[in-house]
Amino acid sequence: MNENRRQILEMLSTGKITADEAERLIAALESGPATSAGTSAAAATGSAAAAVKTRAKYLRVLVEADQEMTGLKGPTSVNVRVPMQLLRAGVRLASLIPVQAHQQFDEAMNKHGVPLTLSQIRPENLEELVDHLEDLTVDVNGSDANNTKVRVFCE
Amino acid sequence: MTPNFAVIGVHTPAWQMPRLWIPLFLLWIPVVLLSPIIFLVLVAIAIAARTNIWRLIALFWNFLSGLPGTDIHVSAHGNNVLVRIL
Repeated sequence: MNENRRQILEMLSTGKITADEAERLIAALESGPATSAGTSAAAATGSAAAAVKTRAKYLRVLVEADQEMTGLKGPTSVNVRVPMQLLRAGVRLASLIPVQAHQQFDEAMNKHGVPLTLSQIRPENLEELVDHLEDLTVDVNGSDANNTKVRVFCE
Repeated sequence: MTPNFAVIGVHTPAWQMPRLWIPLFLLWIPVVLLSPIIFLVLVAIAIAARTNIWRLIALFWNFLSGLPGTDIHVSAHGNNVLVRIL
């Protein structure tokens, strides 16, 4: 028997973790060697909760720009934290756009070089997009004299 | 949970406003008083959007419930603006 699996089962038998947590840990163990190493380490420390991936609660957008970039005196920074629940609710509001407005929207977007068909975007697609945002990290650093930094990530 | 407080802070090099705690829960009083008018507005929106009124209410409620935790902090030119919804 695999050593990591044995550790998980021992933790289950001693009552350190629940059967549900053990199942998730074993599933994570089987999903790949890269993640299993981290999972077993977490299991070894007895922190089963740390091993189970928690859902991100917030989308963070951080922008830092120096005065050369903005033309303003001193550095400029923007720090925005948006709850994921708000994003999900926001994309659901898109379903309120009247059908007759779809064509006008598509034409306007095409006119500006964005070939988008709004009627083909379903609320479930948008919710899926928000779910996958959790795995997204954007890290932009300006080069040379441009010290602008942009970070977008979920936490 | 719907937002209970909004915290607003403005800080300039020349002037510093004390952080304002705005009790948003008190807005429920005018909302309840104006509820018939709000309901009519929602019905009009539902007809225009060709959607179910209850679905519309659920959407707005979800949106409202998602607001707590929103945090916006902008700092530029020595000025700081903070908006936080709790």
